[in-house]
Amino acid sequence: MNHLTSQQRKWLYVAGIVVLLVPIIYLGMPPEPATARSGEISGGKLAELRLKDKLGESALGNVDPASSTMGLLLLGFRGIATSILWMDWQDQQRNKDWAALRATTESIILLQPHFLKVWHYQGWNLAYNVSAEWDAVADRYYWVKEGIKFFKKGRERNDKYAELYWYVGDTTGKKIGRSDEWKQFRRFYRSDPDVARFEGRPDPEVNPNGRDNYLEARDWFQRANETIDSSGNLEHIMAIYLFRAYPMRAEFDYAGTMQREGIFDEVCIEAWKTAFDDWTTKYGIMEFDCPIGSIHFEVTGDELDQMIAEEDAQNLTERDRKSYWIGNYQNQTNYRFWRLKSRVESEKEMAEAHREMYEGEQALHRADTAVARKLLWDGMSKYEKILEEYSDLKKEDETIDEALLALHGWRECVELDDEEIPDAYPLKEFWDLNPKRRETAKEEFNRRRRGR
Amino acid sequence: MSLNFSPVPFDLAAGFTHWLVIMVAVLALSFVLAIVISMLTLGFAGPVEVVVHSAGAFSDFLGTSPRRCLALTTLTFREAVRRKTLWVFAVFAVLFLFAGWFMSEATPDPDLQVKNYVSFVLRTINWLILPVVLLLACWGIPDDIKVRSLHTVVTKPVRRHEVVLGRIFGFAAIGGLVLVIMSAIGYVWINRQLPQAKGAQLIARVPVYGEINFLDNEGKPTKEGINVGDEVMFRSFIEGNTKARAIWNFSNLDPSRFEGQGRLVLESSFQSFRSHKGNIERQLMCQFTLINPKTKLRVPLKAFEVHEFRRNVYDVLAQNKTLQDEDGNSVELLKDIIQDGKLQVETACLSSAQYLGMAKPDLFVRLPDRSFAASYFKSITTIGLMMTMVVVLGVVSGCFVKGPVATMLTAFVVVVGKVAHSFLQSLVTGNVSYNPNVKMQGSGLFDSIYRIPTHLNPMVEIDNKLVGRVVSTLDNIELNALWAVQHMFPDFASFDTTEYVANGFDVPWAEALLPSLAITVGYCLPWILVGYFSLRLRELEAK
Repeated sequence: MNHLTSQQRKWLYVAGIVVLLVPIIYLGMPPEPATARSGEISGGKLAELRLKDKLGESALGNVDPASSTMGLLLLGFRGIATSILWMDWQDQQRNKDWAALRATTESIILLQPHFLKVWHYQGWNLAYNVSAEWDAVADRYYWVKEGIKFFKKGRERNDKYAELYWYVGDTTGKKIGRSDEWKQFRRFYRSDPDVARFEGRPDPEVNPNGRDNYLEARDWFQRANETIDSSGNLEHIMAIYLFRAYPMRAEFDYAGTMQREGIFDEVCIEAWKTAFDDWTTKYGIMEFDCPIGSIHFEVTGDELDQMIAEEDAQNLTERDRKSYWIGNYQNQTNYRFWRLKSRVESEKEMAEAHREMYEGEQALHRADTAVARKLLWDGMSKYEKILEEYSDLKKEDETIDEALLALHGWRECVELDDEEIPDAYPLKEFWDLNPKRRETAKEEFNRRRRGR
Repeated sequence: MSLNFSPVPFDLAAGFTHWLVIMVAVLALSFVLAIVISMLTLGFAGPVEVVVHSAGAFSDFLGTSPRRCLALTTLTFREAVRRKTLWVFAVFAVLFLFAGWFMSEATPDPDLQVKNYVSFVLRTINWLILPVVLLLACWGIPDDIKVRSLHTVVTKPVRRHEVVLGRIFGFAAIGGLVLVIMSAIGYVWINRQLPQAKGAQLIARVPVYGEINFLDNEGKPTKEGINVGDEVMFRSFIEGNTKARAIWNFSNLDPSRFEGQGRLVLESSFQSFRSHKGNIERQLMCQFTLINPKTKLRVPLKAFEVHEFRRNVYDVLAQNKTLQDEDGNSVELLKDIIQDGKLQVETACLSSAQYLGMAKPDLFVRLPDRSFAASYFKSITTIGLMMTMVVVLGVVSGCFVKGPVATMLTAFVVVVGKVAHSFLQSLVTGNVSYNPNVKMQGSGLFDSIYRIPTHLNPMVEIDNKLVGRVVSTLDNIELNALWAVQHMFPDFASFDTTEYVANGFDVPWAEALLPSLAITVGYCLPWILVGYFSLRLRELEAK
């Protein structure tokens, strides 16, 4: 090489660069943005493989330029930076430095945008742990919203993960609808307490359609199911036959919560009807794998015979095996209970019974004994009549508790009227068969009276 | 929205005495060592050399020429500009251009938003300015020696310490210029990002803190309140509807500095802890009682709801139309209650079986606010002081080692001083850094060496008394040595006054500015001496 002149060497370098450029272009040419979006294959070999095997970042969800920039800028130090941020985060949580904690959480997800557990852990932390640290209910609600928004953001960045859709639904449904502050949270969900910003309307980021939290949750659970179908990615939260039930479970919660809030009108009855229909005609016909093949829950004796005949007409034990697995899975999902419950609850008579017992209790709390006694008696009579028809419900905790609460109210009315409790009265068997639960029901009765 | 630490006023007299003792001891020790080493290397001529050099040092420092220093400072400044130091602005501009990407979604809560933005600006300035001045300072003199420009300088009538001082002032000037421009941009940026917060949140509250004492549930004095299970025990709690109280003793109130015409404004930020759900739509109730410490006159004030993690401002005269003592007699605030600047504020939680948590900085008398700009630029001043220390350390280390080694040495001191100082302190004192109330057990080296193989829990005392005594003695020696090592590293974290500004407080003189200034002067003086002697005694031809 030493005998080459400077100019010759330079030409040699240029030639080397050109030669090296050929494989580099072949391997590394980026895809055309338009074709990459449409799914057509373009660009170099690596781009082609990335698109084919869905390994590109855009295949996982929206690309956040800030996150990508951070990843590039940190070179190989992303892991170290992430660890430092997690340590900072822990320190901030310990010191209740919520502003810094929120900012650190954002920084962590910039560095770990596709780490599902990070989204889950941090979203839960905001909605459950941080919110619980604040005393004012409006402040708690603010942090629950932060958790929901965080999950939604995670979902945008990772739209093939069914889990993130489910987390949005779960937090919207369970945290808003079942926590200690459920009354306030449900109210805030439809009318945000931050009046200065939202003027009495809901926060559009968490409730864009201004609906009930359970209806919003139902849609997110539904989208989680659809994501499994469209992406082919499995969820890793629970058994699939439980996971698939969540949109309908949200419908049950929606209808049940209306009753809890004293709404027993047509809307409530319609909600139970919709829940029953969806439970039996959508969830009930979904196919699930079990050790002996594929089964669904909504099955009559004839259908069971048909299924077995299709599979193996000669196998005499097959019927037992099939019904065993269907029964087993039905038990795990509480399928029969919800089927029966939603069916009964969608009857007007049942709604009337609930309404009278609820209003009777309210009247008693208002010290309107005469009205309370009549309403409770009527409600209990109707309740007993329905339960005679659907006797399976008699064993359910919810039924027993509701009956005992009504009985406590009615007995108090009788005692206040200075009368003896008669030998026969509606729902008497619940009183006689549950002496221990009577005490618990009494405590609940008193608590509800105090909470008015 | 209060501080998570108790600001302690710096005791200048005690600090100066402490510093003087150490300086005299170190100087004496260095002198004796120099005598011994010079005797061993040069014989009896050695001590004479030491005395000559020491006397020369005195004459050099006494003959310092401001003109020569200024000339060298100007030269250093120009060199630094030529070296494209100001390119740091490009990085700074990029960070601010894209900061919105990283911060806009953090939180819409205005209080929290202000805190994030202010912290971001101050921390960015802090972390950008340090590497720039560190590299400049550490490579200045070694480069001069390498390219022999220093040879030309020392042939002129310039004293060695003037070279050191010229470099220090020059680098500090360029760093200061960068800092001023950065801080001005940062200030404008904060105001542009948070226009709606200008009035309410971008403030500098001026607090007067008192000393806190507690009474337990039976009304007996106790060191602290109840721990409700928080890992960090900075705050402790008082139980509601009992005799438990937190009492703040204010001893330096000046009513003429109060808001308006002698209005006493108390601001608190207590934490709430519920042992039962209670009425969740109402916050826990709290009541202040003002007490004249001399006459013991007690004036209960109207109770208020505690808004947790928020600023609870209580204007005593606005919220209590008339002030009455416990017997119903009308009293006057400035005449009957605050006497000789002294006042006690007793705090009680009124919600039964619920708890209020508090620490010293959670209640203060709020004086009229200062402007946010004043607080912000005071914080910038402390960053400037830290930058000066880095410049001095960098220049001094460049006097006796080459550029790369000087850089590493300075960076090491800065990183240890900034990140690990509290850890070192917790090792020496045995206090857990984030929890001063908790003592670490078995933290000594020899203690651990004994405990690990014997599987002895750190909470258990060592049974064998002899072993225990030996271990304890050895650990004491080791921890004392560690104490000395710890003091070799300045506490750079104490220069960080971001917490004050970000939480809407004025940066106080006695608690933040004075200690920063004292640390800067206290460390820089001996470092400059080291730099001077290094340059005076070193062989310049040794590149």
